[in-house]
Amino acid sequence: MQSNGGNLKHGGGKKGLRLSDILVTVLISLVFGVVYHFWGSVYSLFKPLFPEADELLYGMWFAAATLAFLLIRKPGVAVIAELAAAHVEVLFGSGWGLNLLLYGLIQGLAAELVFAAFRYRRAGIWAASLAGAAAAIGSMSVDFYLSYTDDYALWMFIAKYTMRVISGALIAGAAMVALGKALDRTGVTSLLSPASAKDYAALDDVRHG
Amino acid sequence: MSIWGMDRRTWLHRANPVIKLAVLLLLFTMTVLTHDIDFVIYQAVIFTICLVLLCGLKMWKILLFALPFLIAFVSSSSTMMLFGRGETIWWEWGLLRVSEESFYRGLHLGFKGIAFAAEGLLFVTTTSSVDLFYGLMQKLKLAPKFAYSFMASIRLLPMVWEEFLIRRQALQVRGCPPLRGVRGMIKRVGMYAVPLLAQSIRRAHRVAAAMEAEQFNGEHGRGRTYYYESRYSVYDLLIVILLTLAAAAAYMCASWYPWFGIGDVRFD
Repeated sequence: MQSNGGNLKHGGGKKGLRLSDILVTVLISLVFGVVYHFWGSVYSLFKPLFPEADELLYGMWFAAATLAFLLIRKPGVAVIAELAAAHVEVLFGSGWGLNLLLYGLIQGLAAELVFAAFRYRRAGIWAASLAGAAAAIGSMSVDFYLSYTDDYALWMFIAKYTMRVISGALIAGAAMVALGKALDRTGVTSLLSPASAKDYAALDDVRHG
Repeated sequence: MSIWGMDRRTWLHRANPVIKLAVLLLLFTMTVLTHDIDFVIYQAVIFTICLVLLCGLKMWKILLFALPFLIAFVSSSSTMMLFGRGETIWWEWGLLRVSEESFYRGLHLGFKGIAFAAEGLLFVTTTSSVDLFYGLMQKLKLAPKFAYSFMASIRLLPMVWEEFLIRRQALQVRGCPPLRGVRGMIKRVGMYAVPLLAQSIRRAHRVAAAMEAEQFNGEHGRGRTYYYESRYSVYDLLIVILLTLAAAAAYMCASWYPWFGIGDVRFD
């Protein structure tokens, strides 16, 4: 196979996901997947407070999607992140089995849709919180099919999912923005965006003008 | 092999991971769409038997599965039993209200949880990630950059764990004071999360640069060769037949020897 030198430099186009983007996303998500796996026990600690108090911690399970997107602002990252995190949970032999892949896919897609609605340009606290809340709604729709949650008593249903959406916005949204900023301060994120969109625009302008 | 190890090689180990994944996804879909409690109970029982016979693990390891099974059962069933809608009330205490319908629906969900767990473990205990991703690349044309990213990340994960231990020791040596309260807890989380994630990003980036240089991303990869070749064999046919028979057996048993005979468990 003859390799093409031009493509080698860019690793395949500036828009699409490069291997380094995917590898960083997947590794972060696997770390989150380990956290997800043990989060179940933290989650049950909250159970005795009041019925479904554990829902307040549910947002942690959407965190990989938003954090990965905050670090690598490209299409597809949120979905890959949730799938990768779910995949590690399945590997660990979780009792939830293949359900987790379904949840991961839908939650990732829901978060991805929000970022896509902002055309992948917004990565502030609002966009991230909305993505977290959207992931919560995504997980709710899977619950309908898998756990018949629409057959709960109405007050229960509303309480459960309001808490989940709030938790998604707070943990997967606000907390991950804070974590993303803390990572920015370490300087490590400069590795991930060696050239910003602005730099590319400047290049294009010179070429055309 | 997989993280569970392998004590005995069964048909499932020899089957192609892609076929195995496809069959188990079909069974998973079947379980999702089952709303009849008898069918689900037989699925849970029969797939658990399949798991014990086919996972190729020693008995004490199989007994470790009891815990995830129990968790799956309790957490799937309890909320529905206590808070589900229903008309024939059996027991009521404050907001808790157990009705006949919600009880059976909860039981149904519990057994469904076990069926899901058994299906998932059938796959996980018999497939290594390397086989799976090589299979996905060759049989389903998954882009190599995705497959190699997953495989490399799985290898990097133990290093993150090692770093976690080092970080803990470092904080101990520096005499990091015990932090109390919610604030302290958040600060403690940051003390671990930020350095561990930063280091993971740095390492992933370095590894990716090396892999790109070695053309692992496979941009020009039609004539690409693979170190492990993923092949179909007669075992694929065997496990398709075996698992189809298992599902059919569950269906037959449910129609011939129903335990409850109440049909669809959903409300209205």
